[in-house]
Amino acid sequence: MKKISIVLTVVISLFWTVSCHDDLDLSSPNALTTDQFWATESDAQQGVNSIYAMFYKEGTWARWMYFRLDLTSDEGYSDSPWIELADWTRFNYINYNFWEGNVNTWRDTYKAIFRCNQVLSNVPDIDFQNEADKKAIIAQAKFFRAFYYYYAALLWEDVPIILEPSDPLDKPQQNTLSEVWVQIEKDLNEAFPDLPLTWGANDVGRPDKGAAKAMLAKTYMQQRKWDEAKTALDFLVTGEGAKYSLVDNYKDNFTDINENNSESVFEIQYGDQRKGGTGESTDAAVSTNRPQFFAPNGIGWSDGRARFWLVDAFKNEKDKNGGIDSRLRATLFYPDLYKDFGDKVYNRDWQWGDKESWFRKGARDYYRDNEDYFSQVNYRLIRYADILLRYAEVLNEQGKTSEAYQYVDMVRERANMVPLSIAYPEIGNDKDKFLERLKIERVLELAGESVRWGDLKRWGDLDNQTKVDKIAERDPDFNNFIVGKHHRLPIPQVDVENNPNLNQHPEY
Amino acid sequence: MKTLIKNLLKKELILLFCSMLFVQGIIAQNEITVQGKVISANDGSAIPFTSILVKGTTIGTEADIDGNFSLNAPSNAILQISFLGFKSVEVPINGQTNLTISLEEDLAALDEVVVVGYGSQLRKDLTGAISTVKSEEIQKRQVTTIAEGLQGLVTGVKVRGGGRPGQEANIEIRGLKNLQNANPLYVIDGLITTANRDFNPNDIESIQVLKDASAAAIYGSRAANGVIIITTKQGKQGPLQIAVSAKTSVTSMPRYNLMETDEFAKFQFQAYDNGNRERPKLNLNVNTDWQDEVFDTGLIRDYNVSFAGGGENSSYFMSGNYFGNKGTVVSTEFDRISFRVNTSGKKGIFSIGQNLAISNSVTDEMSGAPIIDVYRLFPTIPVYDDRNPGGYGYGEQGVANTFGTNPLALADFNDTENKNFRIRGNLWSELEFRPWLTYRFNFGYNSSFDTHKNLRKLGNWTLNQPYDNSSTFQNKGRYELILIENTLNFKKEFGNHNVTALVGQTYQSDFYEQIWGQKRGLLINPGTGEYYDVLDSGSEPQVGGFREESSLISYLARLEYNYDDRYLLNAVIRRDGSSRFSDDHKWSNFPSVSLGWRISNESFFNVEAISDLKFRASYGELGSGNIGPYESQGFINTFGAIVLGNSQDLYPSATQVRLSNPNLTWERLKQTNIGIDLGLFDNSLTLAADYFIARTEDVLFGFPLLLTTGNDGGNPIANAATIENRGFEFDLSYRKSYGDFSFNTSLNFTKLNNKLISLGNNQNDTFSGNTKTEAGQPVGMWYVLQTDGLFQSQQEILDYKSSDGSVIMPNAQPGDIRFKDINDDGEINNEDKEVVSSPWPEFEMGFNFGAEYKNFDFSMNWIASHGATVYNGFRSVVDRFDDDSNYRSGIRPWTPENPNTDFPRIVRGTTLNARGDSDRFLEDGSFIRLKYIGFGYNLPTELMEKIGFSRARLSFSAQNIITFTKYTGLDPEFSNGNIFQRGADIDAFPNLKTYTLGVEFSF
Repeated sequence: MKKISIVLTVVISLFWTVSCHDDLDLSSPNALTTDQFWATESDAQQGVNSIYAMFYKEGTWARWMYFRLDLTSDEGYSDSPWIELADWTRFNYINYNFWEGNVNTWRDTYKAIFRCNQVLSNVPDIDFQNEADKKAIIAQAKFFRAFYYYYAALLWEDVPIILEPSDPLDKPQQNTLSEVWVQIEKDLNEAFPDLPLTWGANDVGRPDKGAAKAMLAKTYMQQRKWDEAKTALDFLVTGEGAKYSLVDNYKDNFTDINENNSESVFEIQYGDQRKGGTGESTDAAVSTNRPQFFAPNGIGWSDGRARFWLVDAFKNEKDKNGGIDSRLRATLFYPDLYKDFGDKVYNRDWQWGDKESWFRKGARDYYRDNEDYFSQVNYRLIRYADILLRYAEVLNEQGKTSEAYQYVDMVRERANMVPLSIAYPEIGNDKDKFLERLKIERVLELAGESVRWGDLKRWGDLDNQTKVDKIAERDPDFNNFIVGKHHRLPIPQVDVENNPNLNQHPEY
Repeated sequence: MKTLIKNLLKKELILLFCSMLFVQGIIAQNEITVQGKVISANDGSAIPFTSILVKGTTIGTEADIDGNFSLNAPSNAILQISFLGFKSVEVPINGQTNLTISLEEDLAALDEVVVVGYGSQLRKDLTGAISTVKSEEIQKRQVTTIAEGLQGLVTGVKVRGGGRPGQEANIEIRGLKNLQNANPLYVIDGLITTANRDFNPNDIESIQVLKDASAAAIYGSRAANGVIIITTKQGKQGPLQIAVSAKTSVTSMPRYNLMETDEFAKFQFQAYDNGNRERPKLNLNVNTDWQDEVFDTGLIRDYNVSFAGGGENSSYFMSGNYFGNKGTVVSTEFDRISFRVNTSGKKGIFSIGQNLAISNSVTDEMSGAPIIDVYRLFPTIPVYDDRNPGGYGYGEQGVANTFGTNPLALADFNDTENKNFRIRGNLWSELEFRPWLTYRFNFGYNSSFDTHKNLRKLGNWTLNQPYDNSSTFQNKGRYELILIENTLNFKKEFGNHNVTALVGQTYQSDFYEQIWGQKRGLLINPGTGEYYDVLDSGSEPQVGGFREESSLISYLARLEYNYDDRYLLNAVIRRDGSSRFSDDHKWSNFPSVSLGWRISNESFFNVEAISDLKFRASYGELGSGNIGPYESQGFINTFGAIVLGNSQDLYPSATQVRLSNPNLTWERLKQTNIGIDLGLFDNSLTLAADYFIARTEDVLFGFPLLLTTGNDGGNPIANAATIENRGFEFDLSYRKSYGDFSFNTSLNFTKLNNKLISLGNNQNDTFSGNTKTEAGQPVGMWYVLQTDGLFQSQQEILDYKSSDGSVIMPNAQPGDIRFKDINDDGEINNEDKEVVSSPWPEFEMGFNFGAEYKNFDFSMNWIASHGATVYNGFRSVVDRFDDDSNYRSGIRPWTPENPNTDFPRIVRGTTLNARGDSDRFLEDGSFIRLKYIGFGYNLPTELMEKIGFSRARLSFSAQNIITFTKYTGLDPEFSNGNIFQRGADIDAFPNLKTYTLGVEFSF
């Protein structure tokens, strides 16, 4: 008995000793590794799709981008009790590492670029049955790389250009704004030929040739390269890409009812099928949080509000029937909304201040009494109305003011406004007066659609104190604005301190 | 390496067979039968179960319960009598047949057996830094985990706990040596595990804390944070002993001093007036004390019963325990039931044993952060409000502008329950081939079945809350650890040369898998309003699951050499291979060596007062592979989806989200320790002092990458930093007895300097909250704006200029804080932040005192921490006034009428006064605390015998009842799990005042 147990003990232990030796090679049963991926067409397709998924992240268009573009501009402001959050919409930048105001958007911009670079680095090596499909995937990645650099250029200007997949030890070189513009132009010009003129029904939402030209036009316009901008816009307005038209019902641009309509040039697709967070979990949401953050207090977080001068701007000119410009109804919640148009606010009577107003575009009050983090309403990032007004602006800048009128009038006509020349005969062919009027036309048509900040920069309205003082009259936040400093954001300090190749803007 | 082990095992086998052939025999010589009794020299009482050995032979026996023994021995033999806690004696028989042997208590316990991992040593032979803790010290406190029980008892061991039911304390041995997980390795009866809340502290027999590298080296790659070895109770020879204990405690929360409605309204209106804002329409008819609503008296019950006994060749120990803790915060509870069976048996050279514990615990987890919400909510908010979805009161726009959460609503609408069923144990067998050669096989097994359930009911708890459907999230997980160890132990004396050697091989595998599911829109029982919280109910199903495996193979060897009790050597080498690293980096060696010189045993050493003096020195390298199982690989995240097409359908997306670091390798701790053990006056006064330098290289940590990498989903782990801890610690103890009265007292002291030598990813610094961690500095230093009093007048504001003449704070008003313009650029911004102070204490101390008089005993533990600067999260909320919260009662903010104050003007809205990132909220975190005080009474023996009990004891104790501190938060002894923000008291659950009544008896 004794011997048996002894022998048993030894044999068992020997068995374990020998058998366990190969057990140090364990691979994850949970996920594909990076070197297993990027092998098939389907991998490439899913890879490029992941760039679209960046629209659902907080730092981009799910949340904070609206704070940078809409609330920082003179159209909006924040009165959030979260003071630092509000401070970052009124040029009180103290902590450059403030996540929500700065770092999150910077990081998510590069997160998107990393996804573009993964596609651009890996997809060329994948065999496709149809070469055009491969080219279209690469072209999408280039479009989006340009897209994210465009907004980075708008916000921070001198940012590092990264064109390869990231490595943990990367220390990228900083680039100048003009180098960034060059890269954006290059990517868009390379993307354009390989994108289709129109996508099939299941792929609507991907950028087409028109979207590429529109982004290209925006890029040129920010550099005041009017001739190049004109050429790019020609494609959409008069050229082979002129497939667009304004929808009859202005409001159709801001609800989920008539999405991807004839006016849509590039539209971010949102849904409410998934109710997870904005991260990378299995149920990661595909929604925008904008209405939850912009809805009036008592309904949403009320972190973003509209400046009240917008209400007055709409009321300055009556429509053809002597009524109030109906775009006001779709654009804002304001005290007289019920009196003027018979609309309540999420089914509630006006219970906010007499001089308060809230953005209504994208709000879901048309069918519900509350908001949440899962708005499915697509965001029309580039509308044909915007393109038409841009076309008018470019023509005017080229000295072709008289040619420009018709495009403004197309936009005014849809809003039931009389032609510009009749309403404002004093403008005539005066380029400056036309531009000044166009600035208002753009507000009336596009308020709250994230174009105003770029407009102000392009027009040079942030470049001298007199102009800034003028803006400050309608948006007192601009009293904090320092010319030569606040036209761009500080680079997140944590990257500046840890990357010897990256310098903080000298004014910060 | 494989061949080496095979050869080794071959040798093992040869030895095995040799030993089987070997026939043991003892040649008797003039044998007589000796009978005797062993008694205590102190009081003459019998000492049961002492071991009696005939010197130079293997003949021996054990005394019975009354101290009587009988054995056959040569008439000229010498008997060696030893028993734990007493000095061993040698008694020559000299032909006597009846002996009375009295043993003296060994006060210094130099002969105390210290478990050192795969073996044991006598305290006098130790060359490493090892502390032992008596189980009674832990068991007398009311604790959930062992870690709490160690607080203040061991030098170099820092413990920070909290009073949330089921909360597990953080423990840190000799400083913050890495940046991931400071918890030490726990070894319970040879099983590598965690001593979490599933473990019943009543089962502990002894605890050893291995602190330096040489002591811990035998655990190699897992020991970088130190090792805590726990031995559970075993049965002793004799009839069944039944011990029963019951402890009941009441616990209470410390309270904030907050305003009631009248005072609150006055200050809120003042802040709104100063901010030129319309006053809120406060509901002045309501005066809610949120602390009364949320906090309650807690109750802890700890009932334990054990059965122990054994025969000559076998022993058994069984215990059952119930531990219940109803929390001090609404809807929190922890319940644990545990059982243990330890048995062992011996036949000839073969012995076998088993330790098995089964526990089931249920935790009703705390929801949200009630510690914060009680002061974020206004007294003017009613607890219940029918107008809100769900019926609870909370903030209301223009009436009570707070986003504070109603903790009662959250506890009701978002409740979480965790259940853990755990089996933990080991099976061992030993073959004693020869008295000097033992083979041991150990099989350890630890498995837990974890259930998590969250139920989200319909209803809101805060202002402007988005609508959220009802839902339930549940997961079930299983963890399994398998440990297989083979060790061969050699122990022999060659004259004055005493050699102990150990070789061994171990294999460990860890496995965890989980499945989870979620449903929304749950069914509600229309009759009762109850939710159907099973996953069959509801819609929008989601499921998921994952599995993780890792394994570790190790080879170990140790040599202990002792020459004449004067010169001691201990050398260890361990080689570890881990599946967590890539192929080129799997294996590493961890050597250590330590030396001791017991100078008091030298013939030239003749100092009367010094009874023992030993110098110790050691150097060793330890490792850590404490990272996720697949950390070195880069993965594709396939969870994403995108919306596309006219029908707005979902399409899959996939990409790499998180970067990875394929070249990860072992983190390595290099520790040098110099120590001295001194015993004076027959060891009644002892001192153990150690100085150490612990340098951790290649620290595994996920430091933030540059944001421009676009990395998300967690920072990839890298061999990212070098950290150094230098420390000095000593433990001074004194014990004395005068007749019926005896006392002991000890003082321990730990001083530690932590420094980050270098930071990973070629980075210079990293920020977390209000802290900065940079190379050359301690981890997590306070990095804030500095205040410089208040502006008293407009003139002072205009006079406050930078050197180029620009007014630094032109928008300030009298009563606002003056901030220092550190970089002299004429404005206050991020660039003006500086490292101002350290969250690290300069030193920590523990003071213990115990006394006994006849049947009474008394003991107390004090702990002290000096010199840490901490951030008062509470004040940073209630003192800021730009946002809305309740306020501290009795504040006197600056007004033109009340300018003599350090509290700035209160303003609702933008103001620098409110900034949380300034030194305004930093406080001195030093404290002295009476951690434990207890009285006990042992009922007289005569009385006991009458009722058939062998022992009965009543005790009363209190914990955390006296604290001296200047800190104005709830508890200076808070813990923050974020290593970089350890000094920030944000929502830490405080330690509770605890009063415990205990009854113990045995029969």
